[in-house]
Amino acid sequence: MTCRDVSGLLPLFFDGELEARQMRAVALHSSRCAECEGELRQIERVQDIVAATLSARVDELDLSQVWPAVKRRIGTIRVPWTQRLRLWSEERDVTRWIGIPALSAAAATAAVVFVLSSGSVTSVTEAPQIAEASPIDNTAIIDSLDSSAENVAVLNEPETNTTVLWVNDDSDYGGEGFPP
Amino acid sequence: MTRAWAPLLAMLSVASGAAIPSPSYAADSVEVHIGAVLASNSGQEFDPRLVAIHRQLRTLFPYSSYRLVKEDQKVVAAGGKLGFEIPGGRYLLVMPKALKNERVSMRVMLIQGTRPVVDTVITLRNRATLLVGGPRHKEGVLIISIGAVGTTTAAATADEPLNVAPQ
Repeated sequence: MTCRDVSGLLPLFFDGELEARQMRAVALHSSRCAECEGELRQIERVQDIVAATLSARVDELDLSQVWPAVKRRIGTIRVPWTQRLRLWSEERDVTRWIGIPALSAAAATAAVVFVLSSGSVTSVTEAPQIAEASPIDNTAIIDSLDSSAENVAVLNEPETNTTVLWVNDDSDYGGEGFPP
Repeated sequence: MTRAWAPLLAMLSVASGAAIPSPSYAADSVEVHIGAVLASNSGQEFDPRLVAIHRQLRTLFPYSSYRLVKEDQKVVAAGGKLGFEIPGGRYLLVMPKALKNERVSMRVMLIQGTRPVVDTVITLRNRATLLVGGPRHKEGVLIISIGAVGTTTAAATADEPLNVAPQ
């Protein structure tokens, strides 16, 4: 890849728009070419300036009343019972219940009626928590994995059902493996 | 009484399931939340903001100190991409590709300088979290949690629209 090729790709590279192969090629070239590396730094500086300017403008905005207004608005939304039932069934995969004995089905129906009448099903998604990982299965299916690091370890830990990608990105580890 | 009602309720149960059409999906959005944890053996600090992943950290890693140095969350439609600045001049790109069967598939790239340190395509259960660790930072290493909460929005024209009461 020549400097000319790279020059045209640098903005896309910086925005993460390139495919992995192109990304690696540009990264490799830039690491060896002072001129392209300098151009990349310039793009970084421009973006930093733009980001700083935008952040300053955003900080000036008073958003304190936005969420209270949204909450008030949410409180006025009425969800039809058919939609609530659908949401409920999607959450619980109700279709797999078909075929179970009549008495159990009756109990399930009664539970549906109770849940709907109690209004505990809502269409509002709860606010996400950072890495609220414990109660659910965090095992990841890895479709592809590539790395420029010296080595990468993949750990599926059964006790906490967690997948970890561990990157040894410098030689200081001395081959200590996962985790150092 | 109960016996008389049971078959009827069972039929109602099955019928209601059959009558509920599959919603037509207008948009899938994914909220990605990231946390960068500085793990080290200098000190015994455990950042209280990390209580949700306390068990993972203590079980998986041998460090004595865990401090949250960065957290952020952003929302994007499936097919879009999100960028997060990570301490140490790193950059995390997350590109949710699809939300299907309560699973979120996404491409995750951790870039350091100009190097893609990690470039992976993964599928996670909705609301699950992936941990990416190892990059050196200050006196320890970074452990980056990447969580995804996918939301499928039913089309407004599907079946019945939401009724919004006037203010």
